Amino acid sequence: MRAGYAEVEVLRGVSLEVRSGDIVSIIGANGAGKSTLLKTVFGLVTAHGGSIRLAGEELAGRRPVEVLARGVSYVPQGRCNFPAMTVEENLEMGAYTRNDAGVRRDIDAMMQRFPMLGSKRVDPAGTLSGGQQQVLEIAMALLLHPRLLLVDEPSLGLDPRMAELVFATIESINREGTTVVMVEQNAKTALSISHRAFVLELGRNRFEGTGRELLDNPEVRTHYLGR
Amino acid sequence: MAFFAVHGLVKRFLGVTAIDRVDLTVERGELVALIGPNGSGKTTLFNCVTGFMPADAGRVTFRERDVTGIAPHRIARLGVGRTFQLVSVFSRLTVLDNLLVFLQQHQEDSVLGRLLRTARLRRYEREALDRAHALLAWVKLADHAHAPAGTLSYGQRKLLAFAAALMPNPELILLDEPAAAVNPTMIETMKRHILALNREGKTILLVEHNMDVVMDLAQRVVVLDHGAKIAEGAPEAIRRDPRVIDAYFGR
Amino acid sequence: MRRAVAWGLGGAALVAMPWLVRAVAPGQQRYVLHILVFTGLFAALALSYDLVVGHVGSLSLAHPAFFGIGAYTAALLATRAGFTFLPDTLAAMILAGLVAWLIGVPMFRLHEHAFAIGTLGFAMVTHIVATNWVDLTRGPLCVTGIPRPALGMGPVAIKLTSVPHYYWLALASLGLVALLYHGLTTFRLGRAFHAVRDNEMLAAAAGIDPRRYRMLAFVVGAVVAGGIGALYAHYITVLCPEEMTVALTINLLVIVFIGGVGRLRGVVIGAVLFTVLPEILRIAPTWRLVIYGGLLLAIVVRWPEGLESALRRSGRSRTA
Ligand SMILES: Nc1ncnc2c1ncn2[C@@H]1O[C@H](COP(=O)(O)OP(=O)(O)OP(=O)(O)O)[C@@H](O)[C@H]1O
Ligand SMILES: Nc1ncnc2c1ncn2[C@@H]1O[C@H](COP(=O)(O)OP(=O)(O)OP(=O)(O)O)[C@@H](O)[C@H]1O
Ligand SMILES: [Mg+2]
Ligand SMILES: [Mg+2]
Repeated sequence: MRAGYAEVEVLRGVSLEVRSGDIVSIIGANGAGKSTLLKTVFGLVTAHGGSIRLAGEELAGRRPVEVLARGVSYVPQGRCNFPAMTVEENLEMGAYTRNDAGVRRDIDAMMQRFPMLGSKRVDPAGTLSGGQQQVLEIAMALLLHPRLLLVDEPSLGLDPRMAELVFATIESINREGTTVVMVEQNAKTALSISHRAFVLELGRNRFEGTGRELLDNPEVRTHYLGR
Repeated sequence: MAFFAVHGLVKRFLGVTAIDRVDLTVERGELVALIGPNGSGKTTLFNCVTGFMPADAGRVTFRERDVTGIAPHRIARLGVGRTFQLVSVFSRLTVLDNLLVFLQQHQEDSVLGRLLRTARLRRYEREALDRAHALLAWVKLADHAHAPAGTLSYGQRKLLAFAAALMPNPELILLDEPAAAVNPTMIETMKRHILALNREGKTILLVEHNMDVVMDLAQRVVVLDHGAKIAEGAPEAIRRDPRVIDAYFGR
Repeated sequence: MRRAVAWGLGGAALVAMPWLVRAVAPGQQRYVLHILVFTGLFAALALSYDLVVGHVGSLSLAHPAFFGIGAYTAALLATRAGFTFLPDTLAAMILAGLVAWLIGVPMFRLHEHAFAIGTLGFAMVTHIVATNWVDLTRGPLCVTGIPRPALGMGPVAIKLTSVPHYYWLALASLGLVALLYHGLTTFRLGRAFHAVRDNEMLAAAAGIDPRRYRMLAFVVGAVVAGGIGALYAHYITVLCPEEMTVALTINLLVIVFIGGVGRLRGVVIGAVLFTVLPEILRIAPTWRLVIYGGLLLAIVVRWPEGLESALRRSGRSRTA
């Protein structure tokens, strides 16, 4: 796949294959093109070369709503919620495209899983702390029970316990059948729970392998995992 | 008297006490980490001591001066630099201008002086450029110097904001999660840079959830929980403190 | 080098415009130059407005008030107190700036929508005062007999009575305003303006007082608007309250947004389009305004950042 913005080409021929049921991590330096990759898959950035297939169906050129309708949900990097709406309303917005009777129950379950959301239920999302907003945004995406979850830095701003809870949640929805593609700078933890992982560099593939293999690869360790 | 001190700080929002009578002192040249679970009041404390939010009670002093309730730009000019947890850059200014804008304010106060670009000002401008280019080189943004900051990746914007806060060479630096969203290799570079600043004599107060960073850098750690200070001490002691394990580390 | 030559030629052509026009269309000189005087005054006024809207990002709707205050100050001083052109223009600028500073203090406590509405309220109040304070402004009867300007004094005075004279005056004023605009919006000061516009919190962390820079742009904008008001009053010689209605704000916004917010070139292009295009369209009188509106719409759709962005793009592809 090739993609970019106005004048710059950011992804210069990236290829990756994700098997159904896997957790896949994408790591790489700041500016390598990881977020651009997720945005292109979700239809926020248009691919101008190559193809993107989901279970055989072409996604390239589709708009985000269409991609979403095919069971893909996306958690962007950094803040992206409705700051003036309450936590509960934000969760309802997360489930906006669902119209089954289970939404209420799922929102309650989500508040059970992340008790902080329950205690902040009626507060505007914009008044939550950085880490609390991050949890809210992940919860919003999970409410869609996606086939494929694209998540950009799930652990951003989370305290150690909350990060652990979020990674555990990702593993648990994965066991229930969701395929996960995640971008993480908390690379060691991400690799340790991933079936496969890719290293991007300057918009191209650099390494790939199982999470374990990359963790043990000396070159990956020195250049991408620090120390 | 301490270089930087917070006495009995209180900040309430509807329904929550975000900061509950916190005392905190930082001596000149110290590197102190402020940790605590999500929502424990770390960012709110930064906002109150840098003038971005009025506190409900308490006093803040910096270099023997009471700075409680002073406007944020004035606190900045006294030599307090800070970064924001949520990425914050001037998105329509170029990367280079993002740095330069941080420096000019501390050099020349008069608008008239700035209108008449004197020789002295031109020299300042040259020095500022040199400094900016040096900072850009180490955060690996030299290639992007003339691009609008809004076109950088998230982590790149984070690094730019960090570099910008260092531009005016502040005496006290408050860093709110500088390592979040930064790749592990760059975190190592960042750690070395923070240590070097500290060795030069800069005083640093650091909020961070990355425990490698905290344990490697901090000389002292202060722990907040539900807005109150629950522990304070050397990094190794804090790591073993049962109250902190309970409230923060888990397991 | 080529740039300098191009600028030199362009400047010379602008100065020589009265003769050029006479050579090309002898019977139309007065009419064409009259339009160009308006172009110059509108361009200068729009530049002063863009300082506030484009560079510090405060959507002020008070600009017609400062234009009007300047125009009335000059008109009344000239007709009632016997002031000559330069002193009354200076007084107009000072008064407009002073009023801007006085209302700026409360207004800049407001943010975004509230600031826009607050300044709109002020503009409406000034218009109402101009209409109803008949003793001072003669209200709807208008101030008449405003003298054409004279530069200098006594025997060496140059009376600017002909349209070409006034064209040169407008051109010189536009040049001065453009220089001021350029000086204020580039280098250090410009960076501070733009920092305040982009991110007020971060600007404060950088040691910049957002309110102070907003106020500076607002007051300088008002001083210029007051001066242009004075030039305008002396040119049309009759001044009515209608000159300072809120509609003027809409016109200025059209000029700034069609041309390119925060761009010197863009604003000037916008002013040219705004004043010249309707005249060219007189060849199709019935459809004139429809075509005009359609063209504006097409420009906004095609170049949402203004015509200037199109120039920038083509300039870059040429150098690349
Ligand atoms: N503007 C506000 N209005 C209401 N409540 C607020 C506001 N800002 C913060 N809070 C609340 O104050 C508490 C402390 O928030 P703060 O942002 O200081 O936490 P933090 O320690 O920085 O957390 P994190 O590690 O997630 O960044 C939270 O419960 C938050 O919801
Ligand atoms: N809107 C944009 N316009 C132009 N260039 C952009 C834009 N967004 C990103 N870029 C460029 O694309 C490159 C890749 O950006 P991307 O956000 O994909 O990086 P990333 O790998 O997610 O980095 P990070 O770890 O910092 O989030 C960067 O060099 C950046 O400057
Ligand atoms: Mg990214
Ligand atoms: Mg915080």
